[in-house]
Amino acid sequence: MNTEPVFDTPDDRHYSREHNIWAQRDDTGRVRVGVDSFLLSSLGELAYIALFDPGMAVTRGHSIGTLEAAKMTTSITAPISGIITAINEAVLADPQLINRDSYSEGWLAELDPTNWEAESSQLVTGDDIPAWAEESRQRLSDEAEYKG
Amino acid sequence: MTWQLITADGVEAAHGLAADEVLCRQVGAGRSPATLRLYTYRSHCALVGRFQNLAQELHLDYCEGHDVQINRRPTGGGAILMGRDQLGITVALNGRGPAMHGRARDLMEQFSGGLLHGLQQLGVAAKFRGKNDLEVGGRKIAGLGIYRDSNGGLLFHGSLLVDLDVPLMARVLRTPFTTIGNRELRIIAKRTTTVREQRGDSIGIEDVRQCVANGFEESFGIRLQRSEHSDEELAAIDALAQDKYFTRAWLHQRSNVPDLSGRQSIRTDAGSIEARVSMAGKTIKSAILLGDFFADEDAIVDLEGRLRWHSSDAAAIEETIREWAYATSTNGLDPVAIAKVVLAATEGATEDIDDTVPYGCFVTPTQPTTPTDG
Repeated sequence: MNTEPVFDTPDDRHYSREHNIWAQRDDTGRVRVGVDSFLLSSLGELAYIALFDPGMAVTRGHSIGTLEAAKMTTSITAPISGIITAINEAVLADPQLINRDSYSEGWLAELDPTNWEAESSQLVTGDDIPAWAEESRQRLSDEAEYKG
Repeated sequence: MTWQLITADGVEAAHGLAADEVLCRQVGAGRSPATLRLYTYRSHCALVGRFQNLAQELHLDYCEGHDVQINRRPTGGGAILMGRDQLGITVALNGRGPAMHGRARDLMEQFSGGLLHGLQQLGVAAKFRGKNDLEVGGRKIAGLGIYRDSNGGLLFHGSLLVDLDVPLMARVLRTPFTTIGNRELRIIAKRTTTVREQRGDSIGIEDVRQCVANGFEESFGIRLQRSEHSDEELAAIDALAQDKYFTRAWLHQRSNVPDLSGRQSIRTDAGSIEARVSMAGKTIKSAILLGDFFADEDAIVDLEGRLRWHSSDAAAIEETIREWAYATSTNGLDPVAIAKVVLAATEGATEDIDDTVPYGCFVTPTQPTTPTDG
């Protein structure tokens, strides 16, 4: 039975357009990051995950870890720059927690951002989310073919 | 559209893997053109998947004593043995364009299409099966994998069996059997095939390489231009081999996700069924169905394929087995009983390494035959 996947994009956070990672800043200024529903749909069931250790500096657009899923292995890309202050030990032991709840219990890492104001403006948020989400949904439903 | 074609033979494990990763990075960053690399490793190299446990997948003492190089791929999947008779296939593409977003499955099919066209030219009628296998009549001839890096580079990996020394593979890679005799080797051999076996000749690796290159030109609608690694690429490959692929931290890393194995048997009117599962935490990596029941071998292989990289959630397993039974001739096998025994195997799975079912790309037999350790 084929059913259309449902893509959830909560409006209380930012999304990286190209890497499909969400970022959410809390009252203390720390930023949690995780996988959005579009990337999750591309990956399928997650089996393994590795994340950089707390204390490491990460740069926007660079890797903070690796995921192995049913369909592919992929680098996890930092949506913003910062210092990793925590990683979610629960998803390291049970990556399918991300499949079950990628926006809450399945968060990946927490960062102390070093350039939030400038970098967050390059992420999708607020009123821009619906159009971006529709565009992303459309891309996933179009047959992907390499055309050079 | 022109891609570069790079060929190499007798490549060392660390440099072979570093070359693929550098190509992925360079192509993703737009510093190198899209690339097809067709190469062989030195005889022999044992390469585990991105998150596999070396000791669980390889006979490390044998490797050390027989000059078998070991390493870890950036792509996932099972352990493989590579050497002069296994063709390594790498496609590095720039994955930043909007049409490349996600849909790994579609892209994998296009990648496998290149290989299928190449095999067709060789007179081998293979097909894409499951999530990442190419098979001929239910026997695996190639394993495939995808890796995407943060630069937007997409790396497609394939290993094509031009020929295979099954006894050597069983000495290097751990298998689901506790002992290896002629019977076990026959079982493993029956689940794999090679280009030479299919053709009934001893075709050379160069001819196979040419046909595979032609297949990619056809599948992707591109022209290939022979090339060499640039100086920039060569320096980066050497640096990456030293900084990553030669390091103990990369080779011996362990995941927090426990590797579990379970087995369970059940008696049914159609015979006894034993399910053996290999799991990464709550994900079934592979499932093997054994026993003295009568069934269409293709149907069993099909079910095992459906259960590969599958959730261990009870409802999901039951649904998959129901769909399988609906689509296949089960020869009187009760799908409810199969679901029950598979579920029991997953629920009873433990971390006991002595009972572990390794997850080798070409060594996981699926014959409905009881293994000799029983």
